[in-house]
Order: sequence, then C-alpha cells, then structure tokens
Amino acid sequence: MQFFSGSAPPGRGAGGPGNNAHMHMLYIFNRAGVCLLYREWNRPLRTLDPQQDHKLMFGLLFSLRSFTAKIDPTTAEKGNLGVPLLPGQGCSFYSFKTNTYQLNFMETPSGIKLILLTHSRTGDQKESLKYIYNLYVEYVVKNPLYVPGTPIQCDLFTKNLDQYVRTLI
Amino acid sequence: MGREVAESCIDGVIIEMVSAYASSFYSSKPDLAARRIEAIGFQVGHQLSERYTMERPRFADHLEAIKFICKDFWSELFKKQIDNLKTNHRGTFVLQDNHFRWLTRISLDPAAVANNDATSESESGADMTSMLLYFPCGIIRGALNNLGISCAVSADMTNLPACSFVIRIKA
Repeated sequence: MQFFSGSAPPGRGAGGPGNNAHMHMLYIFNRAGVCLLYREWNRPLRTLDPQQDHKLMFGLLFSLRSFTAKIDPTTAEKGNLGVPLLPGQGCSFYSFKTNTYQLNFMETPSGIKLILLTHSRTGDQKESLKYIYNLYVEYVVKNPLYVPGTPIQCDLFTKNLDQYVRTLI
Repeated sequence: MGREVAESCIDGVIIEMVSAYASSFYSSKPDLAARRIEAIGFQVGHQLSERYTMERPRFADHLEAIKFICKDFWSELFKKQIDNLKTNHRGTFVLQDNHFRWLTRISLDPAAVANNDATSESESGADMTSMLLYFPCGIIRGALNNLGISCAVSADMTNLPACSFVIRIKA
C-alpha cells in the first residue's frame, strides 16, 4: 500500500523511495535586504536561480511580518497597511509549517533576519536561531576584517555554524 | 580602582582605532600608520606597567622583567599567561601565545589570501592583521621601557590564533 514510493521529483540526485532526506537551509538577511549568508546542508530540489531565490525569500518575509502584525487580534492600534514595520513593532512571527518543511524565522532589533528551513517534524527552533545569532555576533560582527553589509566570508563562522547544524539534523 | 567596562567595548575601540589609522589617516603610508599604532601601544604599555608593578620590588635582571610580562602582565591584560618563552640568553626572547585574545575572531578570507592581487585597493586581511598586531608590540615595548629595558618588539603570525612576539633587547 505504498502510494508515494518511487515518485521522486525530477532532478533529484540519489534519492530513492521512502528517502526521508531532511533539508536544512539557512538564510541571513540584513535590514536592507542584502543576503549576508545562504547555506544549505541538504537541499534535494532547486527551482530558482540564487538571486531570485534570495529576493523572493526576503520579500516573502517582509510581507508576512507586515501581514501578521496587521491582523493581530490582541493589539488595539494598527497603522496603515502599506507602512513598513520597524524591527520591534507588531507581534513577532516565528514559523510556518507545511507538510514537507518548516520555516523558522527570527528578527533581531538591528534588522538582521535569520531564516532556517528544517523538516516539518522539528519542534520550536527559537533556541537554535538564538544560538546561531550568537555565533554571528561572535565571529562576524567582532571580526576586524568584516565590512558590515557585505556577504559573510568568515571561515570561523561557517565552520562553527556547520558544526552546530550537524548536531541539529 | 573599581570602574568596569564591557570587553566588547574594548575590542571595538581597538578594532576601530587600527582601521582608522590604517585606512583613513595614513592610507597611503602604511609604515607611518604602523608606527603611530605602535606609539599608541607604547603609551598604553607604559601606563599599564606603572599600575601593575605598584607593590613589587625592582626586578633583578632582564629575565625577571620578561617573566613578569609573561605571567602577571599578560594575565591582567588577556586573562591568560604566555604559553611558551624561549631565549637565546643573548638578549632575544620569543613569547608565544597559542590563543591570542584579539586574534580569536579573525578569519582570513580564503579568496583574498589566494588572490595575491597587487592592484586591489582595499587592504588584504593579512595586512590588517599585522597592523592590529603592532598595538600589542607597542604595549610590550612600553611596559619594558618603563621597567628600564629598552628593546625592539616584533610580532609573527604564521598561524592564527597563535602568535609570537620577538623581543630584542638593545645591549
């Protein structure tokens, strides 16, 4: 009674039936929408070219945040729908889940957005996102050679990040 | 003597000072920038050694003074001691620190290191790191100067975050 066996999506590499390949991807954007970091640890399917992918992701989260803050039933005052939100304003959006993946989101007061995509059975990832943000502060912000606003190319940061994410998978 | 400041503030000030001197003030004359940074370190080392040797008697000889730098002075500044001290007994000392605090967060950009392009305008990571290392060299020189030993200090950073400081005492 296997309905889905053997139906691997096209373009998949060595995935067999019943393969529960977990995906894990991380995006880091700054306040202006510049993608500071994009890492993937296991991405079976790629649909767009990277530039478009980043722009879509940023746009999605920008609009989602704005939307979720505006339909919040617990706060009284709302601004106009088109006004962009400051990082602390409105309720904070954490994650959304589909049947195949879960997108976890964290925004810091300085406008740094961390987006982690995991498989849908992981629980709340707030602690992991906080830990990754801590790694970012230690190895990127405090690095004398890093120019803020440019894509991250710090060896120490990527090494520690990879190490940490392997414990999550 | 009770005022405290967050360590990230000190790190930030030092990074910005080095980058300001190297990139804006003397951007076309890197050796002048290096000397200026070293001179700032000299002042700092001078004053710090005054503060940290307040209750101690005079040092018997050069080796005692260097050992003070390796143990007490370094642990006041960086919360650890120098890991390895070598000397040739003829005025040259090599102090090796295997995990130098100000270098722990630097990761040299691998693309820039491999691409030894002389036409690139921005300073490479290795240059900036060597600028940063002039400051602790100055600190050591200032501290020793205040203890009555005039010397020259240079730093060697073959593998981060370990680095060694070479002190040559002028006889």
